[in-house]
Amino acid sequence: MSRSRAVDVDTSRSGRDGWLTGTLAAFCLVSVLVTVVAGFVQVRFGAYSMTRSEAWAGVTDPAVVLEPAVWLAFVLGGELPELSQHTIVVWDMRLPRVLVAAIAGATLAVSGAIFQAVTRNELASPFVLGVSSGAGFAVLATLVVFGGLAPFLPLFAALGGTLAFVIVYVIAWKGGTSPVRLVLAGVIVNMVFQSLQQGLFFFVDDIGVAQTAISWLTGSLTGTGWDEVRIASLPAVVAITIAIAGARQLNVLLLGEDTARALGMRVERTRLLLSSVAILAASAAIAVAGIVSFFGLVVPHIVRTVVGSDYRQLIVGCLFAGPALLVTADVGARLALSGTQLPVGVVTGLIGGPYFLYLMRTRQSMGEI
Amino acid sequence: MTGTDVDPTPDRPESDDESRNQLTDDDALTVESALVGDDLEIGYPTSEKPVVECSRIDIPAGEVTALVGPNGSGKSTLLKSLSNHLQPETGTIRLDGDALQSFDRKTLARELGVLLQETDSLGTITVEDLAYHGRYPHRGFFDSITREDRRAVDRALELTGIEHLRDAELGQLSGGQKQLAWIAMVFAQETDVLLLDEPTTFLDVYHQFRVLETIRERNAREGVTVAVVLHDISQAARFADYLIAMRDGVLYDWGPPDEVVTEQLLADVFNVEATVQYEPELQVLPKRALPDDSR
Repeated sequence: MSRSRAVDVDTSRSGRDGWLTGTLAAFCLVSVLVTVVAGFVQVRFGAYSMTRSEAWAGVTDPAVVLEPAVWLAFVLGGELPELSQHTIVVWDMRLPRVLVAAIAGATLAVSGAIFQAVTRNELASPFVLGVSSGAGFAVLATLVVFGGLAPFLPLFAALGGTLAFVIVYVIAWKGGTSPVRLVLAGVIVNMVFQSLQQGLFFFVDDIGVAQTAISWLTGSLTGTGWDEVRIASLPAVVAITIAIAGARQLNVLLLGEDTARALGMRVERTRLLLSSVAILAASAAIAVAGIVSFFGLVVPHIVRTVVGSDYRQLIVGCLFAGPALLVTADVGARLALSGTQLPVGVVTGLIGGPYFLYLMRTRQSMGEI
Repeated sequence: MTGTDVDPTPDRPESDDESRNQLTDDDALTVESALVGDDLEIGYPTSEKPVVECSRIDIPAGEVTALVGPNGSGKSTLLKSLSNHLQPETGTIRLDGDALQSFDRKTLARELGVLLQETDSLGTITVEDLAYHGRYPHRGFFDSITREDRRAVDRALELTGIEHLRDAELGQLSGGQKQLAWIAMVFAQETDVLLLDEPTTFLDVYHQFRVLETIRERNAREGVTVAVVLHDISQAARFADYLIAMRDGVLYDWGPPDEVVTEQLLADVFNVEATVQYEPELQVLPKRALPDDSR
């Protein structure tokens, strides 16, 4: 109650600063609930199942929660002290996977939202603009050729993603860019990088590497732990912070290039800056979760139908909805079939694809925001 | 603010190149120009020849200037250059004496506001949010909304008479209301110079008047310099302090409406036969299209 009242006071007093509407607050609250519930399910069930109270005891184990040394070990890496078995399963195996899913969900959603504004195209996403496949190729090459450099995967993913996006941008550039040209160039560059990925498989001798690579290319959270949390969180925080700060710039970009320029924006520079942020966000996700298909495309749409297309609200909405949806999808990926785990990208593809077709079928106009 | 009582061109010569320079030179003695273009050649990357060539153009400070001419005469192209959206191939455009290129983008956007003809269609943004975007050049990357921003937006909405539509989404509005919302955005920019490209085209008569009166009001209240492209010569004649008539990419004539608007001009520039009445007020009565070879 007190929360919603505070929101009301805020909107009435500060006018335009009051972008925190009741709808957005409710949406975020629901998303948090979904994330928490799905996370708890993820923590409790699996090959080593626990009762509800056992799982809860594990999550709230004071030996972890109240112990800075343990937190430090999680965050920076290092030796863990002696812990009970439940606690180990919860805190060292299952919870980090939930965290990775949350980070990847948030960054992919934000990345998609930014790309959609920058290109003024509803169909844009890190996947469509070639970033995913570029990053995917880079990661695959790293795995296959320089196996020892795995800790630097996000860096390589970012480099590959940037390279692909720069190629797309340069091809699409003709005294300025247009949304349609960007997407067309993106599709082509995408295909090239996918061919390169497939070509790389011929150089794989080790069947284990091949399997890693495949699960990686479909997007999988299997076996992710605190290492992945460490890898992804810094770029995620940086990208998300800039995205929130840049929401107003995204709104002005949506007014159209000429208007943005007339208002004094350096359009191409702003586009490039925000695109780099989107690439960084996508790379953070791709480096730890692989290429989770459809996610960056669909989530901003879902959020948009609820909170509207004001980017100050949309980015925040994506920040909450992304984790909720990816953590939930990962529950399905991990627990739907007993005895085996699906890559989470299969689940998002199976749900996201049809949902997107449904959107196209029911909406009057598609393509422009 | 300079009133309309200033008489800039006591003796307006005929419109060949030399006399046009003469005209503006004469004029510079009496009226200060906010925007001046010199030796302009303006074209597009795709076109071989320049679309507009003009040795001198003046937009007098504190006055309303209308650019008129038939389709394809280059008036929109000229406006794009005046607003720094299209760099001239040669020549310079100066705003209060400084070349447009020497301005930082945001600084320029605080001095010179522009509303182009093709505004993108936006569905879900509210009128008020759109107006707040007009404050963009006044705000830094991390700045929040100031009292000054709020005041400017409120005033812009009041002046355009769409306060009641504040929370309406643009997609729900009629064409005329949309145009007023865009004008509110440019007004909120609080610039001294305002350039508008065909703001009345495709609007019903009521909204044409609303738009023009709103612009006139802004000019009268705050001495804002206005240059506006209008395709309707009779509308322009009633509305503007000065007319710039263009034909085939060159300036045909320049001056106060009752001196510029003649039956000869209507025949030469617009290729129509018309009667022009000067009493009790300037009125253009087009009659028929002239055959193509009569120019």
